[in-house]
Amino acid sequence: MPGERSTNMSDIEQRLVRCFAAVFPGVSDDELARATTDRLPAWDSVANVMVVAVVEQEFGVQIPLDGLETLSSFDAIRSFLAEQTSSS
Amino acid sequence: MRLIEALEKINAVPVGSRPAESVFLACGFTPLHLKTFLTAALQERSLGNRIVCDTGVFGDLVGNLDRARSLEQRTVAAVVEWADLDARLSYRSLGGWLPTMHAEMLSTARLSLKRIEESLRSLSERALIAVCPPTLPLPPVAVTAEWQASGFELALRAAVAETFARIGESLRIRVVGTQRLDQVSPLPQRLDAASELNSGFPYTLEHAASLSTLLADVLRPPSPKKGLIIDLDDTVWRGLVGEIGSDAVSWTLDRHAQVHGLFQQLAASLAEAGVLLAIASKNDPSVAEAALKREDMVLKPEHVFPTLVHWRRKSESVTSILETWNIAADAVVFVDDSAIELAEVRAHHPDMECVLFPKDDPRAVVQLLRRLRDTFGKPMVLEEDRLRRDSIRRSSEVRDAIGSDGTEQFLSQLESVITLNFQPDPNDTRAFELLNKTNQFNLNGKRLTDSEWRALVEDPESFVLRISYRDKFGPLGNIAVVAGTASGASLVIRHWVMSCRAFARRIEHQALRAVFDRFGVDAIDLEFRQTERNEPTRTFLAAFAGPEGDTLPLTLPRERFDQHCPPTYHRIEHAGREINQHV
Repeated sequence: MPGERSTNMSDIEQRLVRCFAAVFPGVSDDELARATTDRLPAWDSVANVMVVAVVEQEFGVQIPLDGLETLSSFDAIRSFLAEQTSSS
Repeated sequence: MRLIEALEKINAVPVGSRPAESVFLACGFTPLHLKTFLTAALQERSLGNRIVCDTGVFGDLVGNLDRARSLEQRTVAAVVEWADLDARLSYRSLGGWLPTMHAEMLSTARLSLKRIEESLRSLSERALIAVCPPTLPLPPVAVTAEWQASGFELALRAAVAETFARIGESLRIRVVGTQRLDQVSPLPQRLDAASELNSGFPYTLEHAASLSTLLADVLRPPSPKKGLIIDLDDTVWRGLVGEIGSDAVSWTLDRHAQVHGLFQQLAASLAEAGVLLAIASKNDPSVAEAALKREDMVLKPEHVFPTLVHWRRKSESVTSILETWNIAADAVVFVDDSAIELAEVRAHHPDMECVLFPKDDPRAVVQLLRRLRDTFGKPMVLEEDRLRRDSIRRSSEVRDAIGSDGTEQFLSQLESVITLNFQPDPNDTRAFELLNKTNQFNLNGKRLTDSEWRALVEDPESFVLRISYRDKFGPLGNIAVVAGTASGASLVIRHWVMSCRAFARRIEHQALRAVFDRFGVDAIDLEFRQTERNEPTRTFLAAFAGPEGDTLPLTLPRERFDQHCPPTYHRIEHAGREINQHV
């Protein structure tokens, strides 16, 4: 149902913002929701390992190694999670 | 703890919001999430500081330990893994697992252990260290199937065990309890092979969280409880002694009462390690006494003080015991087999931990024994712990005597000797312990971390006075610490604690006199702050209040001290040398 999908997206987004806020303290929620590896200077390789670990643990998913390169923005990770949720 | 929770705990204390306290994590792998979890776990246990965790470089545990030493780190968590003993024991190496290599690998591992031990010992001269032996499963190096231990594996584990047994004897190096780690982090759930290969971090998040918690517990253990009050019937022994008689109560295997014997065994062990132990029982005193005097009791009468046996309420006994021990209810555990008695005591002493003795459930009894061991566990047993029980007994006699009219006569006949020690000793664990657990005679309730204590002792502008006491009844050991700063004519006492066992002997007066004499100042500033518990300190200082009515002399002139100081009868010894006598 469209309404349910929208609720799921909202829930995923909220949880993902919390994950990002934990890794990037002091960055506003709006900025986090627009974050990319290019735009957010603190998103370096170490932070990326942290983002992946937090997201994997919080959402109970496994991010494949070859997916790491494409998951370089908040939006891309949100879409990946939405896909995982809908396929499970 | 989940990783996100650890990060949020760290983020909750922003940079600059509190004083920073540095710790060093030394390991040979990428510290990554272990650093995050350790920082968060130490943050939870910090005394108001912000924890900053430094780390070293990849693949060089010994180098990192030496780096911590050169950085003058005072708190270090060190984690040893198999790869630190020989790189071929890592999944990141392709150095070979050939059986012909085993002897040489063993030799390399022994050499690595020797270097690690030397570095740890050297580092421990300035730092408090928590160290963990290898936690990961060994890679399949040996030729045997895993259900059979190979000679190589047995020899390797023996070399590790021997090294850590030696290391663990050091006062400043504490080894993580691997039995506890096995319980909270099962072996098969520790290695994250993907993370190890991709990022050089070999642990699952769950294992990293568990290991960090234990490292933090070792570095910052919770304050142990001080006293244990126990019931008799169906707790210390099986049966109601008033009904079946002193010869019929039991605590042995053949009488199906082993759980009671085990409880006695633990209680005796705790008492020998300095835990105060008392009995509170509703019984006929003469019958209970007969049972307690049985020669086959594991718990001996000398382990217990006081023993209160009567038919009045248990809470009355507990109140009386707390007064005798002179400690607060929250430092005590009460064990009884009756839920009603526990509820009655809890109603009067809500801060006391009241625990049911599960007499019919051996599994639960074993859990209780382990819980009590944790509750009373200390990093080490000091001489003062051994003296505590006897000195409590004597303190009780002294208080009784002082309560009578003959106070001055009694004090003058104590043959008391106070030893003053101004020599700085950062390794004096007793002084550090006193500062961090004393509540009643405590100038301001300030607690110190190990590193803050060492910094204080080593500061050239600071002084630390350690005081020990003995009299004709025996020694009390080291019972007081006074610390502060002395700069020119200014002298400030910033920390001052005294064991409650030493009350009513006017030792506190001698402490002030000693500081006045030592530094020749006209006045002493005291950083007093009222806490919930330090009423005895406030009362003592109020006796020196000035004529203008200030109740707390935050600045105490020498002249006023001399005017108001009551007679003292101690012989004073200073650093092993007898100085004088103040009467």
